[in-house]
Amino acid sequence: MSAVLEIENYSLDYATAAGNLHVLDQVSLAIAPGEVLGLVGESGSGKSSLAAAIMRLLPTNAREQGGAIRLGGENLRSLDQPRLRAIRGRRIAMVFQDPATSLNPTLPLGRQLSEVMECHLGLARGPARTEALALLRRVEITDPEAIFHRFPHEVSGGEKQRVVIATALACHPELVLLDEPTTALDVLTGARILDLLSRLRTEFSMSGLYISHDLSLVSRFADRVAVIRRGRIVEEQPAPTIFRAPLEPYTRQLADAVPRPERRLVTDAAGENELLGLTGLSVRHGRPVLLPNRVKIAVEAVSFAIREREIFGMIGESGSGKSSLARALAGILPFRGEVRFVGRSIARPAEMDRAYRRAVQIVFQNPDSSLNPRHRVAQILARPLRLFGATPAEIPRLLEDVHLPASHARRFPHELSGGEKQRVAIARAFAARPRLLICDEITASLDVSVQSRVIELLLALRRTHGTAYLFITHDLNLLRQIAHRVAVMYRGRLVDLQYTAALGGTDVHAYTRDLITASPAPVSG
Amino acid sequence: MSEAWQRLVRSRHGALGLILLFPVVLAVLAGPLLAPHNADAISFAARLHPPSARFWLGTDEFGRDILSRILVGARASVAVAVTATLLGTISGGLLGTLSAYLGGMADEAIMRTIDAMMAIPALLLALLVLSSLGKGMFDASLAIAIAFAPGMARITRSVALATRQQDYVNAAIARGESAGWIVLREMGPNVIAPLVVESTIRVAFAVMLVATLGFLGLGAQPPAPDWGLMIAEARQYLHQAPWMIVAPGAAIALTAVGFNLLGDGLRDALNPRVG
Repeated sequence: MSAVLEIENYSLDYATAAGNLHVLDQVSLAIAPGEVLGLVGESGSGKSSLAAAIMRLLPTNAREQGGAIRLGGENLRSLDQPRLRAIRGRRIAMVFQDPATSLNPTLPLGRQLSEVMECHLGLARGPARTEALALLRRVEITDPEAIFHRFPHEVSGGEKQRVVIATALACHPELVLLDEPTTALDVLTGARILDLLSRLRTEFSMSGLYISHDLSLVSRFADRVAVIRRGRIVEEQPAPTIFRAPLEPYTRQLADAVPRPERRLVTDAAGENELLGLTGLSVRHGRPVLLPNRVKIAVEAVSFAIREREIFGMIGESGSGKSSLARALAGILPFRGEVRFVGRSIARPAEMDRAYRRAVQIVFQNPDSSLNPRHRVAQILARPLRLFGATPAEIPRLLEDVHLPASHARRFPHELSGGEKQRVAIARAFAARPRLLICDEITASLDVSVQSRVIELLLALRRTHGTAYLFITHDLNLLRQIAHRVAVMYRGRLVDLQYTAALGGTDVHAYTRDLITASPAPVSG
Repeated sequence: MSEAWQRLVRSRHGALGLILLFPVVLAVLAGPLLAPHNADAISFAARLHPPSARFWLGTDEFGRDILSRILVGARASVAVAVTATLLGTISGGLLGTLSAYLGGMADEAIMRTIDAMMAIPALLLALLVLSSLGKGMFDASLAIAIAFAPGMARITRSVALATRQQDYVNAAIARGESAGWIVLREMGPNVIAPLVVESTIRVAFAVMLVATLGFLGLGAQPPAPDWGLMIAEARQYLHQAPWMIVAPGAAIALTAVGFNLLGDGLRDALNPRVG
């Protein structure tokens, strides 16, 4: 009975209009003091519901179907609100996925941190402030005094997540729930946050539950890993073994879905001829009419050329101008400089005629916002078909191309899963039979396992149609699997352009090398 | 459409709204046929008669049957109010969506014009329009529509600005779609929900505005059995014959509540995500 957290045969349903939805089924887990348990599962597997159940933050339609959740032997299910309040933040703390939404935008960061200690440890303002500054130093914030008075929008995403972590650790909680704490951050920041967490683990002798969809990430951080699928724990093993020798086929599937740079998925070479070339392309945001200093430079004088049938990878952290570049090429944002398409020069978006717009298609990051929620799949696909000289009769074939049943044509986007939505977005792009497809972080919002299936699909489509891809991502390992060349963007500039094979070499840019170190290859089996 | 209809009937608000609006619609369609008395027949013997078996809702100062007047007057009052609201909503909605889509200088120009229009009170604006158009039912509804449009445009624009950021609009721009298609087909269906709710609230307001215009001599003229006009006339008999003001007031309230509930139901029914 020495476990910090013990979950025993816990089952949970959600009452919906369509009947009871089983979310968790007889879940049993235990976390020993000083131990971090990884919980891995795809979206919809119930992993976040389990975190909500531990924090007692379940939605009103949740129906608990028995079982116990014990914190240090005390069943949390039997506690009333005042006693739960004393536990939350004091004995159990949580680090959420997105620091941008988990901090209150109207309070200074220091206030949010010291408030926890005033509330739970009964400290006065002065001592709480001293404590808070010390904590900020421990989460490696360089200028704690300055950060203390700043508001969340005035600091970077990484700094915000550090403050969230400091808040979670402020009262030395017995248990810390980490719900994908690095997913919303870019690669370098995420890697640094993970390093910090590893260090704080020992420093605070932290017990925790680390929730993620990425098996390789979890197996690097956790002591033991439990794999959850449709509300059931399917496998539980020590972290080093689960990745190398998974017992269950499902775990193996998850392990295989993790991109490994040494396993190339694309073997053919790119074509010789230039398909799309840019010379000195710049993109600026904002209107210079009244306030010239409000113009933000998103992309500054970028030049490169994509060849026929090439998979041109592009990587960079958020705000590096990757998406702005993609949007300029798709004719959504105005640009300066020159774009050449099969030898034809284009100087302004207005010169992008129907032939260009047909040949260059874009798939966006978030399928939730790229599909009109009021249109059925058939409508979404029919429009580009009609616009680019085909008939809606081709819809079943398009859906088949992206491995969706023809009956999905009648559905609305919200009736599809994330992966299915992204397939529809890909089908919409291929309706125009493009020669270049711009993929703007199209797998960033998907689970690792869904990502690998979408990538397979894209490669299959490329084999049939000979399409070139401008593949934008923050996952370097993925690019090393599929791209012919990799371009590295940093603060709006193209800092490096390498053949994928040369990435490990010596003449890469220092920033590229940082990216390579920040994306360690998973332990191969 | 039939799916949306089914969802509307099944939703609690929508169904209740439909039930409340049923007598209103019936009166609009067949009011004169249902009326037990001649709505304009003056009878001094039956002046200010309280509700009874003969006059269910009582009589007014000229001995006219109030029930009959309400039934006959429904067409003018409700039809004008609904037409005016529809016209105002559609024009304001399109203007707001277009403004959000175009952005930049066009947005500034449209919105500043609308701000200028909003600086004039709705009633004053309607009076201004009516005085240049002439008096009559259609002119009255046009005047109210013009008075409503700026507010509708403002509401729509704020919703449309969020929609404008969505990638399906970007995808349409990348496809080279025309502004008309993007405003009507891509953005339109996504800004409609708050518009429907707002416009159903405004129907009740429009009924009162029609009445006010009548009171000022620019809409319905005194002998006409207009609901608003009836309230205006009943004011001076408030203490002697309260039923005179209660009946048309209740009719307006029934219409207003009915449209509000219908609006709530429509908002859910039009959203494919719910249901």
